[in-house]
Amino acid sequence: MPATISPLATLTPPCNSRAWSSHPHPHLPIVATACSDKTVRIYSLTNFAQQSSIAGGHKRSIRSCAWKPNSVGESVLATGSFDASAGIWRRWEEGAGKAEAAREVDFTSGLAGGDGAADEEDEEWRFAVILDGHDSEIKSLGFATTAPLLATCSRDKSVWIWEELEDDNFETVAVLQEHEGDVKCVAWSPAEELLASGSYDDQIRLWREDVDDWACCAMLEGHKGTVWWVEFESAERVGALAKTDGLNDEQKALLDVRDTAGPRLASCSDDMTLRIWKRVPKEKPSEPTGQGKMPSIWKNKDFDEEWVQEAILPQVHERAVYAFSWSKKTGRIVSTGSDGKIVVYEERWCNRSGADVAMRDVSPAPGAEEKVPGSGLTEWVAVAVTENAHDVFEVNHAVWAPRSDKDKRYDGEEVIVTTGDDGEVKVWTLDE
Amino acid sequence: MDADKDNPNPTIVNASDLPSRRRSNPTAKRPTLFDSLIAPAYPSYAVPLDDLSSPEVSDAASDDEEDTPREEIDAQEIYDLISSIQDPEHPNSLASLAVVNLPDISISPPSSPNSRISTVTVLLTPTTAHCSLGTVIGLAVRVRLENALPPRFRIDVRLKEGTHTTADAVNKQLGDKERVAAAMENGTLVGVIRNMLSTCE
Repeated sequence: MPATISPLATLTPPCNSRAWSSHPHPHLPIVATACSDKTVRIYSLTNFAQQSSIAGGHKRSIRSCAWKPNSVGESVLATGSFDASAGIWRRWEEGAGKAEAAREVDFTSGLAGGDGAADEEDEEWRFAVILDGHDSEIKSLGFATTAPLLATCSRDKSVWIWEELEDDNFETVAVLQEHEGDVKCVAWSPAEELLASGSYDDQIRLWREDVDDWACCAMLEGHKGTVWWVEFESAERVGALAKTDGLNDEQKALLDVRDTAGPRLASCSDDMTLRIWKRVPKEKPSEPTGQGKMPSIWKNKDFDEEWVQEAILPQVHERAVYAFSWSKKTGRIVSTGSDGKIVVYEERWCNRSGADVAMRDVSPAPGAEEKVPGSGLTEWVAVAVTENAHDVFEVNHAVWAPRSDKDKRYDGEEVIVTTGDDGEVKVWTLDE
Repeated sequence: MDADKDNPNPTIVNASDLPSRRRSNPTAKRPTLFDSLIAPAYPSYAVPLDDLSSPEVSDAASDDEEDTPREEIDAQEIYDLISSIQDPEHPNSLASLAVVNLPDISISPPSSPNSRISTVTVLLTPTTAHCSLGTVIGLAVRVRLENALPPRFRIDVRLKEGTHTTADAVNKQLGDKERVAAAMENGTLVGVIRNMLSTCE
């Protein structure tokens, strides 16, 4: 393996029972960890210590949480619990939200990465509102980045979309019930109002607003087991494929098609695989911009979208893959699961130069597949693997986060944050 | 009363015909194994286990001070852990109803020298092909093993192929850690499971 995953720190104190997932704040160097002890622990990624906690709001395990991306002058966290409710929590925080806006408010104390004890007493998390509606456990939730929307999903097979009309006033705008099993995960596209959900029914569905109603615009079939996690890639081209110098026409054409199609989706499953899915752009005079709203062309064309499986990542996991994270900085994917492994994958151009061309890379006859460049041009490679990441315990979650401790090696360096059945949250560096 | 049961007249195996270790009294607790049940299963085991450390382990990766000797756990021991679980609707153990059978228990060793994770697979035979309690029985077995075995074991509990009309659906539920975790926060279900496991302690 060309890279090594090295332990950097274990956040303290750990939860003394299973911890489900950890979610990096959109701007501050902190993560929120959802724990089975009905609490959320907020840890600093600067000093790796617990900074605050949220307790007393839920009657059962907190399975997941989500930060509101554009809150101004405060942090807003949504929590999803096995008690079927979602909670919204607020805390004034300098540096949260947009930096300029934050200064307009008179804060009593700064908090970003601050020292724990004082913060905890002075700055409690304020319970804002509880979102009731689901019939059973909430599994996942997420705020859209392009609109004031929150999605929640549940064992009751439904996905709910909530619109925040004004502070703390959430209105249900959609209850989507096409899934035939628990909905395990939801994820918003970074480029448009498009929601993905993965389910116990082994399927992935994509949802969009059609005139006035939200509806399913695509169903992605392929996984042979529960879909545990879905996530879109960054809206911008990043990583090994970001550089356009020296590309041949075929490669440039692929990138053009990708820009037209919009961010791809990745998924992981109980079937031990991770898969990449892409939208097939429609034949039409004008093309989607991938920015903000869907172009007006959709209103006249069919609502349905066509999505196809683009790739299966190299098979490294030996048991269910519970979560992965698609880096917005490097385009790399990190995955983890029941086998306790952490795996990092990278997408690269296939090596097609001269004698190195492998049989599987033989180009199709000229013109044969001109229309759909893509398959065969790039390949996903596992670049780093570590085993027994949380000792012998299952690892429930892995996510990229900006590195924020004093030993950060370069601008934009990322760490991997993993969350396990041992109640621990661990931070890892990727060394190349 | 009996008419309400899925299977009012199950076949019951004579206790003396159930598998056990010849060298030990089947009702006697195996001290080494049960020590590890009482003490927290992780990170360390009781010192007396030293003499049981398996050769398979000693040359495996143990670069970590916390690495403690592993006791051998075989199918018979898994069987002993779950055989006495009580059926939810009959006053009999899962072993005497032949729901749990020794040949249907297997243990897979770690898949590579670096891995420390073993897998225990238990195939259950419901007393009838439409037994509505298959999920509850499976859950009880899984919970029993999760509580009793060290965390290095992954536990797969399934209904034996061809024994149940909805085996696939039941198996999928039993394999879903999130559903199992949520079920164990359901007071009613926990009560039923606790009752079934009361004969184990």
